Amino acid sequence: MTIPTSPLERSPTTSRRERLRDSYLLYSFLRDPIAQLSLLVFIVLVAAAVLAPWLAPMNPYDLAQIDILASELPPLWIDGSDPAYLMGTDAQGRDLLSTILYGARVSLIIGFGAVAMQAALGVCFGLLAGYLGGRVDAFLMRLADIQLSFSTLMVAIVVGALFKAIFGGATYSAYAVPLLVLIIGLAEWPQYARTVRASVLAEKGKEYVDAARVMGLSSRRIMFRHILPNTLSPIFVISTVQVANAIISEAALSFLGLGMPETQPSLGSLIKSGFDYIQSGSWWITLIPGLVLVVLVLVINLLGDWLRDVLNPRLYKG
Amino acid sequence: MTLNKTLLASVIGAAMTTAALSPAAAQAETTLRMAYDADPVSLDIHEQLSGGILQLSHMTFDPLVRWTRDLEFEPRLATDWEQVDPTTMRMTLREGVEFHSGNAFTAEDVVWTVERLKRSPDFKAIFEPIAEVTAVDAHTVEFTTAKPYPLLPNLATYIFPMDSAFYSGNDADGDPKDEIVKNGNSYASRHLSGTGPYEVTDRRQGVRIAFERNDAYWDESSPGNVDRIVMTPISENATRVAALLSGDVDFIAPVPPNDLARIRADEDAKLVTMSGTRIILFHMNQERVEAFQDPRVRQAFAYAINQQGIADRLMKGFATPAAQFSPQGYAGHVDSLAPRHDLEKAKQLMAEAGYEDGFEITMMAPNNRYVNDAKIAQAVAAMLARINVSVDLKTLPKAQYWGEYDDRAADMMMIGWHADTEDSANFHEYLTACPDADSGAGQYNAGNYCNPELDQLVAEANLEVDLAKRAEMLQQVEQALYDDAAFIPLHWQDLAWAATDNADIAPVLNVMNFPYLGDLVIAEE
Amino acid sequence: MIAFLIKRLFHALLVMFVISVIAFAIQDNLGDPIQQMVGQSVPESEREALREELGLNDPFAVQYLRFAANAVQFDFGYSYVFNEPTTEVILRHLPATLELVAASTLLIIALSIPIGVYSAIKPRAWLSRLFMGVSIIGISIPVFLTAIVLIQLFAIGVSWSPFPGDTGWGAWLNDLLTTDGGMPAYGRGNPVPVFGTWETNFASLEGLTYLVLPAISLASIMLPLFIRLIRAEMLEVLQSDYVKFARAKGLSPRRIYFLHALKNTMLPVITVGGVQIGTLVAYTILTETVFQWPGMGLMFLDAIERSDIPLIVTYLMIVGLIFVITNTLVDLIYGLVNPTVKLTGKPA
Repeated sequence: MTIPTSPLERSPTTSRRERLRDSYLLYSFLRDPIAQLSLLVFIVLVAAAVLAPWLAPMNPYDLAQIDILASELPPLWIDGSDPAYLMGTDAQGRDLLSTILYGARVSLIIGFGAVAMQAALGVCFGLLAGYLGGRVDAFLMRLADIQLSFSTLMVAIVVGALFKAIFGGATYSAYAVPLLVLIIGLAEWPQYARTVRASVLAEKGKEYVDAARVMGLSSRRIMFRHILPNTLSPIFVISTVQVANAIISEAALSFLGLGMPETQPSLGSLIKSGFDYIQSGSWWITLIPGLVLVVLVLVINLLGDWLRDVLNPRLYKG
Repeated sequence: MTLNKTLLASVIGAAMTTAALSPAAAQAETTLRMAYDADPVSLDIHEQLSGGILQLSHMTFDPLVRWTRDLEFEPRLATDWEQVDPTTMRMTLREGVEFHSGNAFTAEDVVWTVERLKRSPDFKAIFEPIAEVTAVDAHTVEFTTAKPYPLLPNLATYIFPMDSAFYSGNDADGDPKDEIVKNGNSYASRHLSGTGPYEVTDRRQGVRIAFERNDAYWDESSPGNVDRIVMTPISENATRVAALLSGDVDFIAPVPPNDLARIRADEDAKLVTMSGTRIILFHMNQERVEAFQDPRVRQAFAYAINQQGIADRLMKGFATPAAQFSPQGYAGHVDSLAPRHDLEKAKQLMAEAGYEDGFEITMMAPNNRYVNDAKIAQAVAAMLARINVSVDLKTLPKAQYWGEYDDRAADMMMIGWHADTEDSANFHEYLTACPDADSGAGQYNAGNYCNPELDQLVAEANLEVDLAKRAEMLQQVEQALYDDAAFIPLHWQDLAWAATDNADIAPVLNVMNFPYLGDLVIAEE
Repeated sequence: MIAFLIKRLFHALLVMFVISVIAFAIQDNLGDPIQQMVGQSVPESEREALREELGLNDPFAVQYLRFAANAVQFDFGYSYVFNEPTTEVILRHLPATLELVAASTLLIIALSIPIGVYSAIKPRAWLSRLFMGVSIIGISIPVFLTAIVLIQLFAIGVSWSPFPGDTGWGAWLNDLLTTDGGMPAYGRGNPVPVFGTWETNFASLEGLTYLVLPAISLASIMLPLFIRLIRAEMLEVLQSDYVKFARAKGLSPRRIYFLHALKNTMLPVITVGGVQIGTLVAYTILTETVFQWPGMGLMFLDAIERSDIPLIVTYLMIVGLIFVITNTLVDLIYGLVNPTVKLTGKPA
């Protein structure tokens, strides 16, 4: 976005506005140590998760490396630990550090995937509702209202339980990643749809849309090529917060046993499997992955907060 | 006691609680407050064959004979029994016994009860061998079997004579009182009259069930001194343990392995554990996987599993590593059989069989049926990875698992088995006999292991009335199954109970998990 | 007004119809309820007979119509596991959940209003910044993790801490970080019976101690949202003309903040808040699982596990009803407080 485009290709007004916003973004970022720290931590966590196969001392998916006799070893700084396992081991004898790195990977994949799914659904429905109005609008918004009044978590739990029942427990765990993306996407699209719809309604009356219509452009072209770009900044802000929400939703579903199987754990299912052992004193199996989850979600939320303050878009309130 | 702590108890308590719940009444009597994971589903002891129902049976009824801790028979309502001829056994019944209703207990009640058992969907299979029961006189009954049957005393532990007069006739709705209705509202599911040490005084399904000592209980030599029992179901493990440690209840079962250490560490609580009789094992399906037809591959699998490691680590010592079906004390138990964990030997056997590079299999296990079931399956999968066998493991809740089990949906499947007859032959009949849909043999044989010689041997053993000879035959079967590696035994799941210090629970507990609470002694404070 | 209520009623019926059809359609996949009712050695022929008797072999439409005909008379069938009407099972678990939600709501109201108002009045104060910082951390912690941490800290206790105990500051930090534990964390203890199946934890000190940790966990998910919401609305109101007028008139700041500004802040808070209190019911599933609180959420997960279909269907329908009722009430209150809102015109 820093590559300057030739003034002939773009109208000067857009270009100036964009350049102004870019520099303001950068300016406020350089002034905000919390945002800088958050971004740094986020990048480190994502890099660690992406590079897990190379960074992790052990492959937790390779059963041949697991030794039941090395189970429930505490982290390095506690008596009774084994120097081979920096953060200790879980109840199966898996190295906790490696399992967390792989688990964070799963959580991030589902988090981003689910947001892409929500955004796709929500943007389409929001554009349709806002632009077409009438019955389509009434139907979609009513659907969104009913879903939101049930709370997204409740919808995710019910849809998760339904999917698990329809596909059977075995198939469900085999395709857990795409299914969770779908479940969280289905549960949380209304947030996008309402925001996009509100922006569309605001943009719809503007002159450039009328102009496009007069020029005889198709509705689809107007929606996606003309209106959508102008609703991007609220979408961007929501997306940050939604990634954090999706990661938490995934963790909650996994904690209830409706998410990732323990053989291929996400951070949520790690916390769940460790919870059984908290009474017997093995707190690290549940609390260390818990801490990683909180830090990951926290930095994303902080970045989202900062973005909202900077971009200050019209978000649909309530 | 707990009522004293309440703020509004003086107000609400006076208005709401009944006299029986008030502290004054509780002090005059000895009360046992206990928590199980579930309360009995019904008061009809023939509605379901389950641990909960049998526990209720031992509290409110008496069996003809019962097991002692050493798995010997102890006379209860039958005082004596003798084999008249190979197919007939005569039992002498105790005199002067009364039911809760006041009716006298006679041989007719025994005949009536056995006939009802033969109508019960859950019990009829067990009582199949009994062809006829007749009352010789008021206190003598004769059991006739079609073929010689050595396990009649074992069956007699399931015969809890019911009050035939009490359960005869029609109830207010016009339905017969002796009707057995699953999941419904029959007379017998709401009313109870037995000979046992306790009468049911109050019952709210899923909330609590209260018992009062039977004043006219026949067994005057019983040391039991508990006047009232209040049983509350607490299905969540941690809550049940917390209730004991906080003093809300005096006796809990089962105790989850993860909490054993906490209870041991508590000064006011005590723990009783016992090696159980439920075997946990994996079947290797020979029909689905060709390699499993080679005994060397099955042996290699058996050598690859570290039973001791699972028992020590995952089960926290709460399991007895197993190498055969029969636990100690059973007729077929072979002392010399021990788990054979040896990774080198396992690899060598795999190489001999031509599977040095291993192969892929699927595995299924329940995740809420046995203690740590899913974790055990994961550990077994990891151990098999050491001999290059890659396992695709699925774990399912029990409600879905058994459907998959019936379909034999995976190459290796986990099952736990307790012999209803407390007899070794039962294991083979259900788990390793050649599957036959018509006779029901091998109903749970998910390995499809089939050795007609062993089936023959067990069939003969079931006709052998000489118990020593019979034991020898059953031990032969265990040894053959071991040598053949017909299945992979893991462990017998231990049993654990915990109680407050003043309740002397140890003498009344046994491996069948039927606490004889009629004999329980609570020390006066 | 009446048109609005009828419309809402129609929504409720629609939601319940959809839920019941879906739940019925998937029941075969939820597992075999017969498994739960009979012993393991019972032969297949007996199981089949029982299935026939319970009507589990009938075609889908027949089973559904039978269910619907009874449901109209508030008879949702018998729970397979509890062997009694599902409505009774739910009524028995309902008080536990309602008490938990009530306790959390009280906590949220008692904490969010003063904190929200304070951070709006003094946005630059360090305490306000602290509240805002803690609230974003609060949003980032999933409710079940809060619950687990509370259990570790206050029920189990923390005896380990990284600082050397032989130095003065180390011992001081150790004291600060270690906790004794001992708070009750599992179940409801001995709630005091009030009437019928309703037992309460509010009537005794002991009961309240059992309520503390679950209520804090459940409140933790909504508290930060409410603090931020109240702060934002209050900031907006404080900018408005009439507050400026009131200031100019020389009214005392206390009177302005708590009488005039707060009243206007509460209007949007009630709308958003009312809906959110309804969604607390969803979070009770998580909280009740961790604390083994014997309410409807725990019962629901249990029912899924044991494929107790009638109970699952009844739970979903009753929760649907609760959501519709709270939303309708919120809209009614909103309409009463702010007469400019026309109820019939607002999409539900």
